[in-house]
Amino acid sequence: MALLEVKNLTVEFGSEDKPFRAVDSVSYSVDRGEVLGIVGESGSGKSVSSLAVMGLIDFPGRVTADALTFDGQDLLTMPAKRRRQITGKDIAMIFQDPMSALNPCFTVEAQIMEALKVHEGGNKKQRRERTLDLLNQVGIPDPKSRMTAYPHQLSGGMSQRIVIAMAIACNPRLLIADEPTTALDVTIQAQIIDLLLKLQEDSDMGLLLITHDLALVSEAANRIQVMYAGQLFESGPADSIFAAPRHPYTQALLEALPERSEGHDRLRTIPGVVPGQYDRPAGCLLAPRCRYANENCVKARPEVSDFNGRDVRCFYPLNDQGQPTGMATGETV
Amino acid sequence: MLGFLFRRLGDIIPTFFGVTLLVFFLIRLIPGDPILMLAGERGVDAERYAELQAQYGFDQPIIVQYFDYLVGVFQGDLGKSFVTKKPVIDEFLTLFPATVELALMGILFAVFIGVPLGVLAAINRGKWIDHLTMSISLTGYSMPIFWWALLLIMFFSTTLGWTPVSGRLSVMYFFEPVTGFMLIDSLLSGEKGAFSSAVSHLILPTIALGTIPMAVIARMTRSSMLEVLGEEYIRVARAKGLAPFRVIMVHALRNALIPVITVIGLQVGVLLGGAILTETIFSWPGIGKWIIEAMNRRDYPTIQGGILMIAFVVMTMNLIVDLLYGVVNPRIRHKR
Repeated sequence: MALLEVKNLTVEFGSEDKPFRAVDSVSYSVDRGEVLGIVGESGSGKSVSSLAVMGLIDFPGRVTADALTFDGQDLLTMPAKRRRQITGKDIAMIFQDPMSALNPCFTVEAQIMEALKVHEGGNKKQRRERTLDLLNQVGIPDPKSRMTAYPHQLSGGMSQRIVIAMAIACNPRLLIADEPTTALDVTIQAQIIDLLLKLQEDSDMGLLLITHDLALVSEAANRIQVMYAGQLFESGPADSIFAAPRHPYTQALLEALPERSEGHDRLRTIPGVVPGQYDRPAGCLLAPRCRYANENCVKARPEVSDFNGRDVRCFYPLNDQGQPTGMATGETV
Repeated sequence: MLGFLFRRLGDIIPTFFGVTLLVFFLIRLIPGDPILMLAGERGVDAERYAELQAQYGFDQPIIVQYFDYLVGVFQGDLGKSFVTKKPVIDEFLTLFPATVELALMGILFAVFIGVPLGVLAAINRGKWIDHLTMSISLTGYSMPIFWWALLLIMFFSTTLGWTPVSGRLSVMYFFEPVTGFMLIDSLLSGEKGAFSSAVSHLILPTIALGTIPMAVIARMTRSSMLEVLGEEYIRVARAKGLAPFRVIMVHALRNALIPVITVIGLQVGVLLGGAILTETIFSWPGIGKWIIEAMNRRDYPTIQGGILMIAFVVMTMNLIVDLLYGVVNPRIRHKR
């Protein structure tokens, strides 16, 4: 049984009769010891879906799913109090911007010890020792003096290490990292990712790595899930997705990587932006931006289907040569 | 920290000069001659009038009078009241505890009602509870103190008979003041019922005086709280699995209180101003009532001294609030 099982997760905002679907029937699962990468542009619903797993979607947001289970326990139907015992202990999350993730009014020590107090108990001395261990573990130099520091005295990379220490304090079995390196310096990014992967390996955690950095997931993730405008577009093993993308969107994303643009004058981009609440196309959500889209794509919305062992949401999945299949030639609009 | 303290003290000196200047010249702009006021209806003949003018120094040019006054102030001499002939500073110190007691209760009322109301409104944003608390606070804010005080007296004292109409203590009790604070003195006196009498005399003036600051604090708390609740660290706190109550009362409120404390500091001035009205209506023997009476009699030294002292208290309070700021906000503490 998978550690985290998400089936047809939908998150809606706005009025009941005309809701905006930030996440639209997304399914995935994470096993223990596995790294699942979720990639997509801004506004693709990556963060919202993970917040839903954490139970942090507030009214008026509505979360529905056919299944949302952690270790066999249904997260959606359990009482709020029971769920809080799981969040922060068994499932922990790291947020995007470390500088705003720490409460400016409390010391590092107080913020880490708080999570320990709620979930593990123990006395103050034990908690303090454990905090010191954690700071050592996440590679903070001179941890003793950092214990009593306030967040504004720390650099971005240091703050993110603290945030990670806070998240792994109670030995979670699943760690959700929501763009953990976006707000950081390039030189620090690699260190933080290495740290996360080391922690994941050491304790056999499941890791849900949300990012828009393809290079990063290519190295880190076992499986990849590509999201677009709240929908799952393609999912499969990391290496095979990189070797042969089946969805035109994945293909375009990969082509936009600088290292794949060699021989081109300019970096290749995907024109347009992710559709928002008011400009959602009637057909395939990618249709206005897809280079292969035809009339059928504009009219009808594709479902997720199996193509060569991969889940792809496209009428004309790409073959190994990167050409759409099942389409009459010259049909594109 | 120490440097900051000295800088702020340095700011106080010019402000203090400004206040003396304003007070001294403004009262002299009010029509009415203190000597004629003292003389009353029978009047005074020209010879005696000139004599009295010389005695009070009114025959000197006004600039000279001002400098004489200033020299006195810097020697700690605020002059003697024209009416009672007692040193102004002595009268002030006798009456001040009554005002402090009232103002302190007023600010406690404002904080202990205003902050929870603001928090309640913020966490129920857009719901009826938010609308209700914000209407209450808007009404409270727009209510003139004298009218609100009269309404309170009419309802609670006259109609219901729950509280006394005026004064600080029932006439049944008498004891020598020790601290000047009736709540403490009545306890020290050991007289039975004295304390509850003091409390019941305090209730209505406290509400009348504390309503406006309460409204301001409630609104400030609400908006500051709403801002903080949208912060990422609140989400992080929830992601730790903390109970909602702890997230709000510890993680959010602590941060939300930072601007509220500034507002509380500013309300001290409002409170002392409001005390003048409140004390007059409730016959509360404090600074406010004392200054109003002095104004009616054109008792220049008392008005000058009283206002100067109030200004001094307000400035000191603001300084204390600024220092307190660092205690709540670690970011400021380390910068100084």
